[in-house]
Amino acid sequence: MIGFMRYLLTNRIGLASIVMVFCYPAVALAQSGGALPLGSQTLGRAYWHVFVAYAIAWLLVAFWIAAMSRRLFRIENRINKSVDD
Amino acid sequence: MNQSRMKKISMSFGILGVVAVLILHYMVFFWVPTESSMGIVQRIFYIHVPSWWVAFISFGIVALCSGVYLWLGDDRLDAAAVTAAEGGMIFTTIGLLTGPLWGKIAWGAWWTWEPRLTLALLLWFIYLGYFLVRRSALNPEKGKRLAAVVGIIGVLDIPLIHVSVSWLRSLHPEAVVLNPDGPTLDGSMLATLLVGLLAYSLIFVCLFTVRYATELIDRGTQIQDV
Repeated sequence: MIGFMRYLLTNRIGLASIVMVFCYPAVALAQSGGALPLGSQTLGRAYWHVFVAYAIAWLLVAFWIAAMSRRLFRIENRINKSVDD
Repeated sequence: MNQSRMKKISMSFGILGVVAVLILHYMVFFWVPTESSMGIVQRIFYIHVPSWWVAFISFGIVALCSGVYLWLGDDRLDAAAVTAAEGGMIFTTIGLLTGPLWGKIAWGAWWTWEPRLTLALLLWFIYLGYFLVRRSALNPEKGKRLAAVVGIIGVLDIPLIHVSVSWLRSLHPEAVVLNPDGPTLDGSMLATLLVGLLAYSLIFVCLFTVRYATELIDRGTQIQDV
């Protein structure tokens, strides 16, 4: 898992995917336009709600991955320690 | 199942999951039309529903594995249950946090104590209790058994959450896919939702497999240390 995360951060496509996740609100904002009837309504203009919702979703998944990596690291240390002993 | 096979399975699901997530986000922000009454904020729907879908599946796994664990006493089933409960908590939290962001625009309130929302919050607390019971028991084996009972009781909340919108007076919209008259969604919205369900399911299976393998290794090394 740590290797996969390192791969994701060092790989261009991986980095581009991460950047894309954080660019969605900008895309959504750009898509809104003024031609749609909803453009004049306040109801449809809460872009930041959509941004925060998507950010929360992926940050929580990232948190779970990070927690797993931490646990793996701890196990690795424990195994190394027991081998040394 | 050996570790290299498990790694292959989780990697395959992970790659498919990432591809599905990219397709989902393309569909959500470039393809699917904006809903006429709620506007752009309705796009939260495509992550809100899949997160609850995965949460319900997770807690279903918890109940199933817990039940069989109480019967057979196989530690691997407890490992699977705790892994699924962890995933369930993550996806329930996503559902509970994305809902109010949508509700604030659609209903004008972050939160209301209406049946579905209250039962959904109760589910989160039940599974918080699942972890608390495990950790607070002086005897770990007893803690596992008590947590298994909590896991089984907790799953009973899921059908209540599902029927709460039709049986009780609720502010939450009724089911648009799993309703008796068939899906009431527009075709493109339904397609986007299905991709969302697939993406979240694949990501969950990938992370579940990794976390389950970690849990087994962790337990194995702890036994060796003792």
